[in-house]
Amino acid sequence: MRPALGDKISRKGLWKTLGIFFALIGPGIITSNVDNDAGGITTYSLAGSEYGLALLWTLIPITFALIIIQEMCARMGVVSGKGLSDLIRERFGAKATFYLMIALFLTNLGNTISEFAGVAASLVIFGVSKYLSVPISAFFVWWLVVKGSYKSVEKAFLVACLFYISYIISGFLAGPDWGQIRTEFFTPTLRFEPGFLTMAVGVVGTTIAPWMQFYLQSSVVDKGLKAEDYQYARMDVIFGSVIVNVVAFFIVMLCAVTIFQAGIKIETAKDAALALAPLAGKYCTWLFSFGLMNASLFAASILPLSTAYTICEAFGWESSVNRKFAEAPQFYGLYSLMIFLGAGVILFPNVPLIPIMFYSQVINGSLLPFILIFMLILVNDRKIMGGYTNGWTLNLVSLSTILLLIFLSGAMIWTALV
Amino acid sequence: MAINSNSQVFLFLSQILGKKIVDSEGRPLGKVLDLVANVADSYPPITSVLYLPAGGKKPKRFPLAKVLEFRGPVVVSSFGPQDQSEGILREGELLLKESLLDKQIVDTHGAKILRVNDLNLLQAKGNLYLVHVDVGFRGLMRRVGVEKAADKFFQWFFDYHLADHFIPWMFVQPLSSPDLLRLKVAQSRLSLLHPADLADIIEELDIHKRSEVFQSLDVETAAEALEETDPKIQVRLIENLNPAKASDIIEEMSPSEAADLLGDLPKEKAEGILKEMEKEIAEDVKELLVHPEEKAGGLMTTAFPSLPPDATAREALDLLRREAENLDFIYYIYITDEEEHLLGVISLRDLLMAAPQTRLSDMMDPRIVSVRLEEEKEKIADIFAKYGFKSIPVVDETNRIKGAITFKSLLEVVAPELGK
Repeated sequence: MRPALGDKISRKGLWKTLGIFFALIGPGIITSNVDNDAGGITTYSLAGSEYGLALLWTLIPITFALIIIQEMCARMGVVSGKGLSDLIRERFGAKATFYLMIALFLTNLGNTISEFAGVAASLVIFGVSKYLSVPISAFFVWWLVVKGSYKSVEKAFLVACLFYISYIISGFLAGPDWGQIRTEFFTPTLRFEPGFLTMAVGVVGTTIAPWMQFYLQSSVVDKGLKAEDYQYARMDVIFGSVIVNVVAFFIVMLCAVTIFQAGIKIETAKDAALALAPLAGKYCTWLFSFGLMNASLFAASILPLSTAYTICEAFGWESSVNRKFAEAPQFYGLYSLMIFLGAGVILFPNVPLIPIMFYSQVINGSLLPFILIFMLILVNDRKIMGGYTNGWTLNLVSLSTILLLIFLSGAMIWTALV
Repeated sequence: MAINSNSQVFLFLSQILGKKIVDSEGRPLGKVLDLVANVADSYPPITSVLYLPAGGKKPKRFPLAKVLEFRGPVVVSSFGPQDQSEGILREGELLLKESLLDKQIVDTHGAKILRVNDLNLLQAKGNLYLVHVDVGFRGLMRRVGVEKAADKFFQWFFDYHLADHFIPWMFVQPLSSPDLLRLKVAQSRLSLLHPADLADIIEELDIHKRSEVFQSLDVETAAEALEETDPKIQVRLIENLNPAKASDIIEEMSPSEAADLLGDLPKEKAEGILKEMEKEIAEDVKELLVHPEEKAGGLMTTAFPSLPPDATAREALDLLRREAENLDFIYYIYITDEEEHLLGVISLRDLLMAAPQTRLSDMMDPRIVSVRLEEEKEKIADIFAKYGFKSIPVVDETNRIKGAITFKSLLEVVAPELGK
């Protein structure tokens, strides 16, 4: 990185800097918050209720890994002005891109299904049948994008980010012992038993997902940030990565001090929400389910959109929310298909939700290494990045992060399949 | 290519890339990396083959004339070191894979940005030409290596014959590098597009390509396209230019569009550009700049036809003929006295029907509908709707004409609010 990028802030006034920051934020914060989707919340609740506070410390290294990876995406977006799938297609050719896109489609379809499962589960707690909540939310999501403009959609998304605060409030409602939490948070514990390790891998896997890199980079490009504005994009990414883990922290903590201590066994986020009522009060349950609904709906709006964008960009098909259906058939086709399938699957009676969520995490995990390797090659390509390639320290750090993630993803697939 | 000198065969670039190269006795020489074409011609001939010599690391090239056969392994007649050269490109040359394959192009016929899946080459009379760019799904399947399977699947499952989607090279504008945009042939291709289509394409490109494409345009095309571009992107495009080039382009725009654009630019930049502009145009634009953008004063243009009442119909037509290029509209002539007080209006239709000697004062319509400088856009829209004019004059408190609003500029500010 050139030093010129960083030392600009000091010369401008603080308020001016803050003003520009708020005008340019969005991509990083939205991406990170979508990351706390139905799958994420389920994993965090399970981690907290099965292993108490023991896994809390993992959130610290996860935050760093998330920042390092997302920063590379944001930088590539700002410097090249191109989306990640665009860069992959131009650098690695049609064949690699084609298979990558198929894998991405399947992964994101799996994720979308689990988002709609999250919507159904959270609203059941409020007494709404899934046969009502799922079709309505699917229509809402579809309508939002097809009828809205990018600006209004982004605003709606930023508002949705605010609702994550419900997890923080419910965390306080449980009245935890902060001293103990602090000790556990800063003392890494590692137990070499399969269940514990699988859970640790799951927490990492749900926080760093393949689709995020594509979504983040495209939205940075869409914002039209210039290389001079890069510092704000980086702040946005760091801010977002911290927030996502703050929310995760509160979910793990909440489930640890209530469900884990009471020794209740849960399997889903819905179980967690219901188990909270006798332990921390019914408001806590409501806030928890409301958070789950918000998160699922939010992610269900973004995942199909991001997938359609990414695929159309790779193959050069028209892709824009501002086009009509007939002008961008592939874009709207893919988008609608994902919502239709994602919501449709949930409406089947007795659909095996837990395996679906689990296997979509497994495909996530197996796709991630490929994308990270592609990213590392691209971010070091001088033709694309000019003077903004990784320095050797950053390469060393990102390479070890990536190797660790590959190892963890491999471990996750291994435990899933054996 | 002596063997196939009379037959015409279509080949795809993807079928040639990566092939083994052998000499006539079957000894391996290396493998094909890329093809070099001379794009100065309208059907670019392939001039040489870029290849990686067996066991070597540095790519080299040899003339296409050495190739005997493309089907199966590439067979070449024996060549010595004198036939080879380093892989450096000469003026007007293009590496097909490097600059076209998987990259974005503009289809100037369909006014769309597309991605290249494959290139279609024609082998005829001993030469090889680039004729089509393949942007279709079938081309993509070919690259993936499942063309046959995809054909069969679509036939069997949808009863649909998967057809190729080619774009003739003459309608293709490559975008991958600034050099390609500056090629003579290429430049005229983008100017073939309607300015509004060109503006759409510019808006769709990423920020770097946007400036590259814009800077490759000639001044007139650039000005026309700029008028149709989204204001935010206008500002970005102009900010990247030096004041001299920017002022050349802005001079070509209509004064009202130019004033809107300069009003959106940072102050220093706008002043720098105004200094570089021709005095007269700069004065006009400055006058427009003082008015708020959404009121009559901000919507109007100063490039309108006006004449004194004692001029004749013939003089009026002469004026239009002479000045039409620089005027923003020609459908009405406004009649003014020496102090520019608005006296009447004459339409182009009346003028064409009138005898050449008729004085304008005898034929003008004195019932003028005009608006004040500070009139709101909603009111102006109402007046356009009520009277059906193509333009409305704008006057100050003393009825002196300051400019005129065309229906088009009103539509531009009102359109975003329509259909909502």
